[in-house]
Amino acid sequence: MSELTIWTYDWVPEPPRGFVRDLRLRWACEEAGFDYKVRTVAFDDRETNHMAQQPFGQVPFLEDDGLEMFESGAGLLHLARKSDKLMPRDPKGEAQTSQWTIAALNSIEMVSVPWWFLKISGDKDNVLAGWMGKRLDQMESVLSEREWLCAGRFTVADLLMADVLRVPDVRAFGDRPATEAYVARITDRPAFKKARTDQIAHFEAADQNRAAHR
Amino acid sequence: MSIKLTAFKWVPPFAQGLVRDLRVRWALEETGLSYEECLIGQEEQNSKAYREKQPFGQVPVYEEDGLVLFESGAILLHIAERSEALMPKDANGRARARAWVFAALNSIEPPVQNLVAIDLFYANEEWAKLRRPGAAEFVDVRLRSLSKWMEGREYLEETFGAGDLMMVTVLRLLRHTDILSKQHPLLEAHRLRCEARPAFKKALAAQMAPFAKYAPPA
Repeated sequence: MSELTIWTYDWVPEPPRGFVRDLRLRWACEEAGFDYKVRTVAFDDRETNHMAQQPFGQVPFLEDDGLEMFESGAGLLHLARKSDKLMPRDPKGEAQTSQWTIAALNSIEMVSVPWWFLKISGDKDNVLAGWMGKRLDQMESVLSEREWLCAGRFTVADLLMADVLRVPDVRAFGDRPATEAYVARITDRPAFKKARTDQIAHFEAADQNRAAHR
Repeated sequence: MSIKLTAFKWVPPFAQGLVRDLRVRWALEETGLSYEECLIGQEEQNSKAYREKQPFGQVPVYEEDGLVLFESGAILLHIAERSEALMPKDANGRARARAWVFAALNSIEPPVQNLVAIDLFYANEEWAKLRRPGAAEFVDVRLRSLSKWMEGREYLEETFGAGDLMMVTVLRLLRHTDILSKQHPLLEAHRLRCEARPAFKKALAAQMAPFAKYAPPA
């Protein structure tokens, strides 16, 4: 069995807790039953302190027996290749899982993150609202016809799509019952709950450490 | 193996040479796989039958012996996994190649696409003028990191691969600006190096060919 390490920040402020992207990798490991360690890089100076591992100063990155890889999407597909709990083993099932994983990142998150950013920046006349609404409507029509995105079962693509769609502002933007039911169903999985609880606990412990060093 | 690729009959000049089927055409040329193209117009793009294949009404769609795939990134990975032309043999090299494909799609393309939208679609609007400096700064932050990585390198990893292909198709989106040539010469050199490949030239010509044929009457 290989040695998996998920790298995240040593601390983050309150608001992103429960949404930092190491959660995606924790969740996948929990689904697959993989043991993993969590290690950290400093949140302060994050723009420059780990460029050798992550060219953009982001987290997470994943280490698997000496192999280092960055980008949560790439990490998810890497884990998925190691367990059929995350992705079916046939070539067609693999291709479709990869397709929906990338759709979550490049067709949905590509819109939802800039939309959300304008929203929290206080832009009342959010110019991305139309595009955002259109993409979510398209997802609603996909999700009203099926329980899972592909292969007739849970895959890592559902994990990622639900993670992109569960952002509270996204969920509150319009009334899309099939999407809401999908997000509720996927985030009700014990593996998600454990990953989320563990992430929040990790940052809470960091609060105490930081306080002790002041 | 028979491969069918769906692309647009025509797009406006600002998009010509940038449509995402270029990624797939380029990958197919690098790996030496032949394909048949299926060209669609706006009517087909919005049809129910097409939405079954592509839920967002975009191109490309890739069909291969009963497998139907959308998302250019997923199609590129699907092609690259089966050819050493785009991914090395060793497991670590393969994982790194995939990481760069995702980096291009999820770390570089969103800020770049944001700036492109401001410049091409909203340039005259008041909010766009206010927002452009911030959007350009965000692009610059990411490209500075990428430039740093490219110091002393010809390609993102040892040899040309799927990550370079995807990254260059993202960097090309900035062609209406001098951001690469003026501020990020290493990235400009990388782009030119990759675009000099015969496979890229063939792919670009193949995308452009129908646009002349199907151009709407002036």
